[in-house]
Amino acid sequence: MQTVAASPARHALSSADRTPRRREGPLAGVRVADFCWMGVGACATRLLADFGAEVIRIEDRNRLDMPRRLPIYKGEARTYGEEDANPDPNKGGLFNNYNRNKLGVTINMRHAKGRALADRLIAASSVVTENFAPGVMERWGLTYERLRELSPAVIYARMSGFGHTGPHAEYKSYGPVVQAVSGLSYISGLPGEEPSGWGLSYMDNEAAFFNASALLIAIFHRNLTGEGAEIDVSAVEAGINLLGPVLLEVAANGRSTRDGHFPTGNRLEHPNAAPHGVYPCAGEDRWIAIAVFDDAEWRGLLSVMGNPAWASEVRFATQAARFANQNALDPLVGAWTKDKDRYALMHALQAAGVAAGAVQTAEDTNDHDPQIASRGLFFDLDHPVIGEARFEGTPIHFTRTVQENWRSAPLLGEDNAHVFKSILGVSDAEYEELASEGAI
Amino acid sequence: MAELKHPLAGLKVVELAHDIAGEFEGRLLAQMGAEVIKLEPPEGSPTRRVGPFAKGREDPDSSLNFWFYNSNKKSVTADLAKPEGMAALRGLLADADVFICTLQPRALKAAGLDLAALAKAHPRLIVLSVTPFGLTGPWADYKSSDLVALAAGGPLNSCGYDDHSIPPIRPGGNQGYHTASSFAHIGVMLALLERQKTGHGQLLDVSMHEACAVNVELANPYWFYPKVHVHRQTCRHAQPSPTQSALFRCADDRYVYFTLILSEAKAWNSLVAWMDSRGMAAQLTEPEFSDVAHRQARFYEVQELVECFFLVQDSHDAYRDGQAAGLPIGVLNAPEDLFDDEHLKARHFFVEVEHEGIGKVPYPGPIYRFSSFGEVERTAAPRLGAHTAEVLAGVGARTLQEADE
Repeated sequence: MQTVAASPARHALSSADRTPRRREGPLAGVRVADFCWMGVGACATRLLADFGAEVIRIEDRNRLDMPRRLPIYKGEARTYGEEDANPDPNKGGLFNNYNRNKLGVTINMRHAKGRALADRLIAASSVVTENFAPGVMERWGLTYERLRELSPAVIYARMSGFGHTGPHAEYKSYGPVVQAVSGLSYISGLPGEEPSGWGLSYMDNEAAFFNASALLIAIFHRNLTGEGAEIDVSAVEAGINLLGPVLLEVAANGRSTRDGHFPTGNRLEHPNAAPHGVYPCAGEDRWIAIAVFDDAEWRGLLSVMGNPAWASEVRFATQAARFANQNALDPLVGAWTKDKDRYALMHALQAAGVAAGAVQTAEDTNDHDPQIASRGLFFDLDHPVIGEARFEGTPIHFTRTVQENWRSAPLLGEDNAHVFKSILGVSDAEYEELASEGAI
Repeated sequence: MAELKHPLAGLKVVELAHDIAGEFEGRLLAQMGAEVIKLEPPEGSPTRRVGPFAKGREDPDSSLNFWFYNSNKKSVTADLAKPEGMAALRGLLADADVFICTLQPRALKAAGLDLAALAKAHPRLIVLSVTPFGLTGPWADYKSSDLVALAAGGPLNSCGYDDHSIPPIRPGGNQGYHTASSFAHIGVMLALLERQKTGHGQLLDVSMHEACAVNVELANPYWFYPKVHVHRQTCRHAQPSPTQSALFRCADDRYVYFTLILSEAKAWNSLVAWMDSRGMAAQLTEPEFSDVAHRQARFYEVQELVECFFLVQDSHDAYRDGQAAGLPIGVLNAPEDLFDDEHLKARHFFVEVEHEGIGKVPYPGPIYRFSSFGEVERTAAPRLGAHTAEVLAGVGARTLQEADE
């Protein structure tokens, strides 16, 4: 039995102490002036904050971050569109989800004193991050050249849909647009039907993960050389990197994916897995994924099925034959699964050496999945307005590195006094002035 | 100090990966300059037997699946079932910085490998385990695949069609494995930073299942907060309650993605002005449509007019003109369309890799670009065992040298 020490994550259990503290972790000592907002940027800098960086979210009171406004509220089921006209900015669950372990300040970048304050914050930081539409940071004079004047070895991470050069640099994008343009939507669906694409902004998350990696690479490089960097990540380009081997098939073999036979739904083109699909189970909209790659797994499946007579037909005799006859095979498998419990079936198939998994919802993975529970992936933190809330952990268990979950997301402007006075040395009188003039 | 144009130059990675999750992470490290030695059984990694194959040649050196995930690596064959194979692995690990391993607990035991003991024996080594379910827990030895991982982890529940008699549909391109690799990459970089600080390596245990479970975007917060479920819809966000279609068919029988947002005045005016410029705004220019409530009440009328508007133009024109009008609209590119994209061309995105007997093949270029350093030049995935003699001779020489000392 392989054993791994429990991940040394630490969670703040009490809501009493939200005071900023010295952080632990490999990024302790790295201060980030974080202009990110929405999903991609906040999800990327969350990874820095989780592992010790002092991430200071810079927000605008007059232009609330969308995750603060979206009505994803505890105890209130509403749809996306049902937004309050004047939402409580501290109630938004999505903001809490993306911004744990960060500090939060407000700066009015349309105010000269606000911009001067931002310059001071940048000068005291060694990383600056942003995911505005291209041109916004430039409008504030915050080019890489200017940032280097303020903080010589600065790392300036710029996260955008299309990257900061090229004729489409200013194209508007969000997750679904990135997925469309990069090809990820087109390669997903049933043959001859409209693409089913994605039911989530997969590329918001994936772009965030790659932006986080890029920042870690740049920090690693700076630790070795003392040299900073400007980082340009295009989510579309990251998406193209995730298309997989079909891209080389098109490039090397000249294959057309517009021949009406591509994509192939839940079936694989390579290798010749069969059955390979998602089959109905007992209950409403309940399904199980089953993937059979060879004869041994096929025999395992048949043993669980009780060796039905049809399975011995010649058309199912070999892996190649089963692959060629999936149109006949799939309904037979589906007829067998449809009145079975998805979990009982999954465990029986796994016991017989067959890859199978219930299609799980977020409720299932959070509340009913013994594998995830045994590894402690999700955790809870208190929040002064929301109360106790659930968080997505990091699916990396380290034996040494600490993920210190010290606080839920900042309230709007929660750390203004700490950051401006204690870190930047703004006097009490100046602080009052900034507040009364609307610069913070 | 060594040449540091590539941040990971000088690092040695040993990869024992039988699936895409481990191989993709090895490639990401190789692209940043690490020397990645892929250890394969004598018959080759199982990933070499997965198609598609270049020009239909079904041999271990022609798998495009293998090419995609193994560029810039060295291939060394060793039979770990034999003592000399195991000695080769141990020799390679003696001065390695990172060991990537995709074996699940039962397979590790059968191979006589104990990752925790390895990490202990090599205090500076970063041991990355990336497996379907992680090294511990009741499902640790369960089998998986890309489809099974996306199903059990949750992303699949959000993907498919409006018609729920159709099962959830797996998004293409091995995204379950890619999700695991994304976190493996973050983990290795964090561990390298930790080692810079403390001098210590460690064991990392990355689970594809858990990686997928945190890559469901809104499905998690919808469960954490209002405790509602999202339901899949055709090519748009799964939501607690249904929303209108966002996929529009164009004259060339291709699609664009566009979310019609009635509540934002600026977007609405841009859309109407664009439609009007083609003489297709019809009644939408009438004053009562400037009222949000009116638009919302006549929603199906609006949707139908927009559908007609897209039907008479080609998808790329709609993409270009819609973006020019400031609307977030995306064309559904097929993979082969990307090579002609003017924006990607201007950014010199695709990189050409020479393949013996085939010529230059365009590969996707950098995921991230840095002003002061960059990727290594891309080279083709290695032929099976191409570097066995070279790499193992080095190990043998070093072992002898150590014995002398």
